[in-house]
Amino acid sequence: MFRYIKLYSILCILWTLGIQQVMGQQAHNLSPSRAEQILAHLKNPSDTYIVVVSHRGDWRYAPENSLAAIQHCIAMGVDVIELDFRLTKDGHLVAMHDQTVDRTTNGSGKVSELTLAEIKSLRLKNAAGVRHSRQQVPTLEEVMELVKGKVMVNLDKTESKWVREAYQTLKKTGTVDHAIFKGNDDVKTMREKYGKLMDSIIYMPKLWPENADVVEFHNAYEKDLNPFYYETIFDTEDALPLLLAKTRMKKDGDGFLAIALWDELCAGRTDEKALLEGADSSWGWLLEQGANAIMTDRPQELITYLEERQLRTFEQKP
Amino acid sequence: MKNYLIAITFTGLFMVSCKQNKTASTAAGEEVPASTTREMSLPMTMDSLIANLKNSHNNQVIVVAHRGDWRNAPENSLQAIQNCIDMGVDMVEIDVRQTKDGQLVLMHDNTIDRTTTGTGKVSEVTWEYLQTLQLKDGIGHSTPHKIPTLEEALNLCKGKILVNLDKSYDIFDKCYEVMEKTATVDQVVIKGNIPYDQVEQEFGQYLDKVFFMPIVRLDHPDARSVINDYLQEDIPVAFEFTVPQDTISIIQDFESIRQKGASVWVNSLWPQHNGGHDDEKAALDPTTYDWFIENHIDMIQTDRPKILIDYLKSKNLHR
Repeated sequence: MFRYIKLYSILCILWTLGIQQVMGQQAHNLSPSRAEQILAHLKNPSDTYIVVVSHRGDWRYAPENSLAAIQHCIAMGVDVIELDFRLTKDGHLVAMHDQTVDRTTNGSGKVSELTLAEIKSLRLKNAAGVRHSRQQVPTLEEVMELVKGKVMVNLDKTESKWVREAYQTLKKTGTVDHAIFKGNDDVKTMREKYGKLMDSIIYMPKLWPENADVVEFHNAYEKDLNPFYYETIFDTEDALPLLLAKTRMKKDGDGFLAIALWDELCAGRTDEKALLEGADSSWGWLLEQGANAIMTDRPQELITYLEERQLRTFEQKP
Repeated sequence: MKNYLIAITFTGLFMVSCKQNKTASTAAGEEVPASTTREMSLPMTMDSLIANLKNSHNNQVIVVAHRGDWRNAPENSLQAIQNCIDMGVDMVEIDVRQTKDGQLVLMHDNTIDRTTTGTGKVSEVTWEYLQTLQLKDGIGHSTPHKIPTLEEALNLCKGKILVNLDKSYDIFDKCYEVMEKTATVDQVVIKGNIPYDQVEQEFGQYLDKVFFMPIVRLDHPDARSVINDYLQEDIPVAFEFTVPQDTISIIQDFESIRQKGASVWVNSLWPQHNGGHDDEKAALDPTTYDWFIENHIDMIQTDRPKILIDYLKSKNLHR
């Protein structure tokens, strides 16, 4: 008899755990997805969560712009993945940085002169051109299906020509709120090209230091589209875009994305400098300037650094 | 009986719950290992690295990093070598070429176009010009790193990591001078896809001074006789075998080749090196490397040194 009681108690415990699990699961379903929470962080920049944007996915351990490179970033806890898209001859958006497929695949030719089937027959190369992998060039649709609910993407190379095509795919996959478009054109040009569509997408203008009218460029965007984030590029410490980011954008509560990839984009405060001379001298400096997000080629190292500084508190205040 | 069934049902439910829990935490990014470069292996003295290289009987596998840690630093850069030292890699594979004016530099390709900010053939440019250039990273953007000379590279490796000097055979007299100058003669392995007679003729004066490793393609009709010639004349420190299919019968001889005193080197780099048991598969499933272990391969050249070392460690096959 005692044996049965013992068995019964064990069953009760297991059953309770099971119920808790199911309830936890339901509660989880009701709460916002990680992608939605990331978007909330972008819309409400805070001093306790710095957004990490990974350039071309985790290209060190998987081919750039590949599904594997995206999966690595999701596992790493990256918030936004910057990817490049181009239109094939037969009208499909595929993830590809260069105009041609030569550098990153085992094939050759321009994306615009190849069909999707032709591109799908190729295999992506690993970084440094070290032989080709088993990975194929993904379409925008495949990318959005993969990232849905998990992470946001920053679409590069689409802005001047292919916003409509990209938007169709985002609608189809239910991921319009997962994609941040970006571009160099002023707001008037974008309105002329895309009209009301601009109100349906998330758009992040780029502020360039070589643009003498960058203050007016920013002003015009604020008046019309009122974007909540700007990609801010500064070759020197006193470049105008940085000044704008520290003054106007802070006042407006807009987000400031710094690009730590190369010297000329961030007054020399690059990922390489962070590794060679210490993160405080580089990423730390960008944060002192008020950056709310950093685009990086070293996502794992940046996340580790931000965690050490307690700048990755994901839970948001209600 | 009924109780028993209920027990099974609930145990099953419990197990499913555990599994869900685990997935959730992975999705939240909690189970991803933190910066792996921080975890350093125990330093090994050069004497013990060399002793391990010479010893084809022990179970310690030698990990060779292809072109250095090219994922995290430009290939063939000093930083790429330093990263390997920090990671506990046993041997770094680097490529040497000679400039127009006779400087030996690290460079994989015939031209400098892919990996530097310059253009041209190494053999047609001067060392002065190369010094003005930067090395590029894996996506082709320039970095602060410079093209190293062979001398700089060997000085960095000295006493810390074994070296496999690729593309050195044709310019070996000059390479040997640098090896002597940097006192690294005993930690460098040279290789060539050449039968014994030819090596003895061309390379004879060096055969008792440096480690020479013959490369043998196992699908070549002469493979077995090339191996036997070496084993009869002068047993090399190791054979590098290219194994296009894992059904090739010579694989069965790896164990006896090691018993005779030569280590067995197989690349995990590409599927055609190892009958499809390659690094890319191993990145998804490290047990892919079991094929190497089961077939008595004790030197592995890899593009995934960290994953390979971690896996070997878990099997007590690496320090």
